[in-house]
Amino acid sequence: MDFLLSEREELLRKSVREFAEAEIPPKIEAMEKTGEFPIELLEPMARLGITGIIAPPEYGGVGLGYLARTIALEELGRVCAAIPMAMQVHHMAIAALNDFGTDEQKQKYIPPLAKGDTMGVVAVTEPSGGSDVVGMQATAELKGDKWILNGRKCFITNSHTSDFWIVMAKTAEGAKGLSAFIVEKNHPGAKTGRVEHKIGLRGSNTGELVFDNCEIPKENILGQEGGGLAVALKTVSESGRPGMAATALGIINACLEEAAKFASERVLYGKPISSLQAISFYLADIYTELDICRLLCYRASWMKDQNMRCDNENAMAKSYTCDAAVRCARKAVEIHGSYGILQEYKVQRLLRDAVVTVPAGGTGQIGKVVLARAALAPYRKKK
Amino acid sequence: MKRQHIGVFIEQRGGVLHDVGLELLGKARELIEVSKGTVSAFVLGRDISTHSEDLIARGADTVLLADSSALEPYRLLPYTSVLAQACKTYDPDILLFGATRMGIELAPRLAARLNTGLSAHCMDLRLDTEGKLLQMVPGWGGGVVATIRCPLHRPQMATVMPGVMKKLVPTKRSGECIHLDVREDFQGSGPKVLEVHIEEPEEMPLEKADVVVAGGWGIGNPDGWTILQDLAALLCGAVGATRPPVDEGWVPESRMIGQSGKTVKPRLYMGIGISGMSHHMVGMDESECIVAVNTNPNAAIFEVSDVAVVGDYREILPPLLKEIRTRLPEGRTDTCEPPQ
Amino acid sequence: MKRMIVCVKPVPDPKAWDRLQMDPVSKTLIREGIPSIINPLDKHAVEAALEMKDLFGAEVVLLSMAPCDAYPVLREVLAMGADRAVLLSDKAFAGSDTLATSRILAQGIRNIGEFDLIFCGNFTLDGSTAQVPSQVAEFLDIPNVMHVCDMEIPNTQSLLLTQKIEQGTVKLEAKPPLLLSFTKDANKPRYISFMEILAAEKREIQTWDNANLNIDETLIGLKGSPTQMADLLLQSKQRKGIRLTGNPEEIARQLADKIHQLGII
Repeated sequence: MDFLLSEREELLRKSVREFAEAEIPPKIEAMEKTGEFPIELLEPMARLGITGIIAPPEYGGVGLGYLARTIALEELGRVCAAIPMAMQVHHMAIAALNDFGTDEQKQKYIPPLAKGDTMGVVAVTEPSGGSDVVGMQATAELKGDKWILNGRKCFITNSHTSDFWIVMAKTAEGAKGLSAFIVEKNHPGAKTGRVEHKIGLRGSNTGELVFDNCEIPKENILGQEGGGLAVALKTVSESGRPGMAATALGIINACLEEAAKFASERVLYGKPISSLQAISFYLADIYTELDICRLLCYRASWMKDQNMRCDNENAMAKSYTCDAAVRCARKAVEIHGSYGILQEYKVQRLLRDAVVTVPAGGTGQIGKVVLARAALAPYRKKK
Repeated sequence: MKRQHIGVFIEQRGGVLHDVGLELLGKARELIEVSKGTVSAFVLGRDISTHSEDLIARGADTVLLADSSALEPYRLLPYTSVLAQACKTYDPDILLFGATRMGIELAPRLAARLNTGLSAHCMDLRLDTEGKLLQMVPGWGGGVVATIRCPLHRPQMATVMPGVMKKLVPTKRSGECIHLDVREDFQGSGPKVLEVHIEEPEEMPLEKADVVVAGGWGIGNPDGWTILQDLAALLCGAVGATRPPVDEGWVPESRMIGQSGKTVKPRLYMGIGISGMSHHMVGMDESECIVAVNTNPNAAIFEVSDVAVVGDYREILPPLLKEIRTRLPEGRTDTCEPPQ
Repeated sequence: MKRMIVCVKPVPDPKAWDRLQMDPVSKTLIREGIPSIINPLDKHAVEAALEMKDLFGAEVVLLSMAPCDAYPVLREVLAMGADRAVLLSDKAFAGSDTLATSRILAQGIRNIGEFDLIFCGNFTLDGSTAQVPSQVAEFLDIPNVMHVCDMEIPNTQSLLLTQKIEQGTVKLEAKPPLLLSFTKDANKPRYISFMEILAAEKREIQTWDNANLNIDETLIGLKGSPTQMADLLLQSKQRKGIRLTGNPEEIARQLADKIHQLGII
C-alpha cells in the first residue's frame, strides 16, 4: 500500500491552493450577501483545468482522474466550500454525459462544460423527495419526435447559471420507468424557478427548474429509456458523493487551521489557550478527523481510478466526512469562544457550510442504507 | 595598519545629491581616523562642481569630478566605464555605494568589470587590524548577520542602506578637486533614457505605507488624532487604528488594523495608546520595527515591541515631532518630499 | 524574438526560516530539511518570458545554478509554460559568491547559445544582494536594466521599459540583446494549469557540471569568490522591547535616532 501522493498530485494541490488563496477570498463577501455564484471565476478555473478535470481530452477536458479531482475540490473547499460544491455538480453532469451519452451528445455537450462556457446540472430532486428517487413525479411522454416534460425540480445546484440540464423524469411507473434527458434552457416550456437562500454554502447557486409541457428533441434522451435510475445512481454514487465528501474535507482543513491559529494567539490566564488541554484535545480531535476523512476520500477516489466498484467507499466518505465537518466546525467555533459566533470571523461560516453539506448530494442516512446492505450481505438468508 | 584610500560614490539625480553619499563620507571619515589615509568623493553628472565645497566640508579630502553632458541623466554603462577608469587611475582600497536603486544596479556591474568583491546592504563597516574592510551584512530576512571580507581583490566594494550611517556636520576643511577627463559621448552605450518622471506622493494606502502610526483607546478623544496625523504626515506614513477608536467614531473603519481589519507590514509601526490585544496584533506583528507608547507599564503590546516607551503620548509626541523636523534635510517638511 | 532565457533560483521557503540552524564549526547554515520554493520575483521574470512566447513563439529556457535537489522546483516552473530547463550543478560551484555565480551563469548562457533577452527577478529572498543580474550582463557584455516594473514591445528591435526609482520612474528605450530584472509590480505571474503540469512532465531538464562549462577552477566556488565569509551570527527574531528612559525630550531624541537608523529620515 502506497499512501503517498505522486509529484504530479502534489503539484496539482499546490496549483489549486495558490489559485484559491488569491482569487476566492475577494469574492466571499458578495457570495455571503447574495448567495450568487461568482461566475467570473469560471474562466480562470477553466484555464487552470478545474472545470474539465475529469472530462476526456478529446472533448476539451484534462483527462485526469478522480483522485486529482478530490484533491482539487479539497483545496477549493479549504478556502470557500461553496465553490467546490458548484464544481462537483458540474463534474457530475460531465460524468453522466461521458458514461451514458451517444457520441453526438458527448461531442455537443461535454466541451462547453469542460471549457467552462457554462455550468453543469444534474436534476433529480423534487418537492416529492430526493432520497425517494423512484417516487419522483416529473413525467416525460414521447409525442411524435419530441419528448414532452412536465414537473418541477428543486434544490438543484447551478440551476440559474447553466445553459442545459440533465433531468430525470418518469417515462413509465416503477424503478424501470425512469429516464434521463438533456434539456436546454431555451427549449420551449423550460424555465428556471425560485432561487433558494441557504444558511451555508452561499455562493453555490441553488434553485428550481420548471417544465411546463417542455418540448425537447427525441435524441435528447440520455441513455436508454427506462435506464434513468442507473444514470442517477451511478452519477450520484461515483461522482456526487465523492464530490460532496471532498468539499467537506476542505472545510475540515480550514477548521484545523483557523482553530489552531486562534488558539496559538489568544492569550488567557497569561498563556495562549492552546496550552489548555481542553482546547488542545479539541485540536487533536480535529487533526484525527481530518486524517480519517482524507484517507476515506482518497481511497474511494483511488479505487474509482483503478476502475474498481467503490459505492460503499464513496458512501462512507460522504456520510462520515460531512458529519465530521460539522463536528470539527463546532469545535473550531467553540475554541474561538464568543468570537466564534460573530459574523466577522471566518469560523462561523465553516459551521454553516458544514451543516449544509450533510443533506446535500445524498443524505447520510441513504448512505447508511447502502452500507448496511454491504455489512449484512454475507448473512442474507437464501430463499 | 596600512593607510587606506576610501572612495565614496556620491549619487545625484538632476543635480540633487542623495543623502546616502554624504552619510558614507561620514563613515569613511570615521574609518580613516583609525587607519589614516584619504577619502575621495566620486561624482558623475553635469555641472556638478558646485557640490565640491559641501563634499569637502562633509569629509572628502579629494573630490573627483566627471562633468559631462554625456553623464546626465544617469545611465548604467557610461557610469560603469567612467568609474572603472577612475578606479584604475586613483586606485581606492575601498569603494562605497548607497544601496539605492542606482547603487544596486551600478555597484555590481562595476565590481564585475573590476573583477572584485562586493557586499550588499551592509549594516556596519569596520577595519580589521591590517586595515582591511569588514562588512556586516544581514541575511534571511534579518535572522542572520554575516561578516564578509574581501581579502585579495581591490577595491573592496560595499553598498550601504540609506539612513544607516550618519552625515558629518559640515566643518571647515581643506581638500582638492580633480576634474576627470571624459572624452566619450557614450551614445551607443546601452539603453536611452526617454523620460525621468518624478511622482507626487499620493494619500498613502495603509497596506503600502512604509510607516504606520496607529492609535488606540489610549488616545482618549478625537482631538488626540491630530498629532498622530501630523506624525504620520511627517514620516510619510499612514494612520491606523484599533477597534475601539473606530467604534467611538474617532476614525473611519478603513483605518482599522487587526483580525477583522487590515494587515500591515511597514518598516516602522508606532502603536500609540494601544494595549496590544491579539486581534490587533495579528494585523501588525510582522512589522519590521515596532515602537509602542503606553502609560501602562504592563501593556501587552510591550511584549512584542522593539522599543517600549512608558509614558503619555501627549508628552512624548510633541518633542518627537520637533526632533524629527530638526533632522530633516534643508528645505524638506517631511520625509516624502522628493528631491527636485 | 526566438529565445528567452530566465534565471531562476530555488530558495528556502520563508515559512520554514525559523527552523534554520547553523553549524557552529563550519559557520554555514544547515539547509537540509528546509523545503525550497521558487524565488518569488523569478516568477515575474518567467511570466515576462512567457508573454514573449505568447507574442512571438519564442523558446523559453530556464537556467538555474543549484544542487540537484532543485528538480521539483524546476519542474514546477516548467509547469508555468517554459519549454526546457538547464541546471548547472557541480560540487565545484559550492561556496560561490555573486561574482563567481554570475560567471558560471554567464557561461551556462553561452553554452545554451544565441538569445534575445535574459530575464531575472530583481533580488532573491535568501541572499537579497540583487548583484547577479548586473554581473551576469557584464560578463556577457550586454546592457542590463534593473527594477523593471513595466515592459512594452512596440517591435522586435526595441523595448520600452519603465524602471522604478525612489521618487518615481524612468522610461528607457532598449534593444536586444539585453538582460532585465523585474520587480513584483511588473506583471501577474500566471497560475500553473493542470494541462501544463502534464506537459511539463515531458519537458527536458538538462544538468551540466563544470566538465560541460569548462570554467577555470580558480574562477569558481570558494576559490573564485573575492568575498569570503569571516563570521556568521544567528540573530534572534525575538523583539527586544528596549525601554527608553529619561524626560520626554530625551526620549524624543532616542526615538528620532531610531527612526533615522531605520532609514526613514
